[in-house]
Amino acid sequence: MQSATFRMICRVLIAPVMALSVQTARAGMIGADQVSLAAAAQTERNTVLNALGRPAVTGELQALGVDPQAARDRVAAMSDGELDALAGKMNSLPVGGEGLVVVLLIVLLIVVLLRRR
Amino acid sequence: MEKPIPEFAVLRGSARRTAGIFLLGAALGGCAPLVPQTISLRDAWPAGVPEQIELGAVPFFPQEDYQCGPAALATTLVESGVKVTPQDLVAQVYIPERQGSLQVEMLAAPRRYGIASYQLAPRLDDLLREVAAGNPVIVLQNNGFGPFPIWHYAVVIGYDYPRGELYLRSGEKPRLSVPFTVLEYTWKKSDYWAMVTLPPGRIPVTATESGYLRAIVAMDRVASDSAATAAYAAFLRRWPDNPTASIGLANRHYRRGALKEAEDVLRRAAERHPDSVVVLNNLAQTLSDEGRDREALALIERAAGLESPFTAQVRETRELILLRMGKDK
Repeated sequence: MQSATFRMICRVLIAPVMALSVQTARAGMIGADQVSLAAAAQTERNTVLNALGRPAVTGELQALGVDPQAARDRVAAMSDGELDALAGKMNSLPVGGEGLVVVLLIVLLIVVLLRRR
Repeated sequence: MEKPIPEFAVLRGSARRTAGIFLLGAALGGCAPLVPQTISLRDAWPAGVPEQIELGAVPFFPQEDYQCGPAALATTLVESGVKVTPQDLVAQVYIPERQGSLQVEMLAAPRRYGIASYQLAPRLDDLLREVAAGNPVIVLQNNGFGPFPIWHYAVVIGYDYPRGELYLRSGEKPRLSVPFTVLEYTWKKSDYWAMVTLPPGRIPVTATESGYLRAIVAMDRVASDSAATAAYAAFLRRWPDNPTASIGLANRHYRRGALKEAEDVLRRAAERHPDSVVVLNNLAQTLSDEGRDREALALIERAAGLESPFTAQVRETRELILLRMGKDK
């Protein structure tokens, strides 16, 4: 849809903004995270997964009782690789939570069983 | 729950005997040993690591309900200088419906405080090395069996090898002694999952270049300028050749408008990696912003002649530079 004229107009409009604001010019800088992805030679695949992945994982967290805003913040702190590892598996991956009492009971059980031999 | 368990004292008193029984059991079993790493430790104690140490000053937060994740994380984060309580962390790592915390979230949450979390290699040696270096280590244990897993996070704060014990901040116990064999047996089931959280500038002693780079690039997503800058700078002091870390550091300088600093970092990187398209592109962009479009154009032309996944960005940068040059005439 982008004609050459349209793109030219955009560029002319962008130029003064660029001149004023360094922040805007950020678009020209390639990020360290992109480099890492490229190193894995999977840039495009990851970008696609990412676009689907973040909202999906946020939704899964919400479904498990996490507050919506908190879920978004939590997902924001994950790397793309971690997101991949989580998506769709949140109900099967281990969650650490239990306290100590059971630990000791089981250890004792093992000790007792071994001693009886 | 809070009452002392009498058997516990017995267990603690006979840690060595328990260890012996475990080893015996493993030997009699005849198949794959229950605790392979503990056994190989007998022949090869890691060089340069003391045989006993305890990080007594590491804080303790007793766990509430099923929240050993937040408690363990608060322990190492406070030790790293962050002002945080387990309660603050509940909203960041606890999943109500599953009554626990995922490993990925344990790694992700510290980044929001400008702390790089690092997952250790699955080796008892590495765990001991980190503790010996003063870094408490969070481990994921499975204290259940077979179809009844009971996953639990605890913090290793010391060990006494001659006595055969490790010391943990765990659940409601401020100092739990656990035989090496028992720790390995429960830890093995999480594929020896362990992590440390360290402030930027303190690199874990067992860190690898690629692993620690992943850790700080992941932190870069959400950390403050000062934390990310400090992390990249420390990384480059240790591994000065790494182009990705140079790019990360330069981008942080660039974002806060420190173009000269960004330029310096990228120039050093370009000397070492003259064919890095990203370094060339970012240096060209920076120089152009400094009003030095002629130099910028020479660099971006070089980048355009190289093969890379970033041809689209390079083309945009080049067009921008040409546009700016055209305007100057």
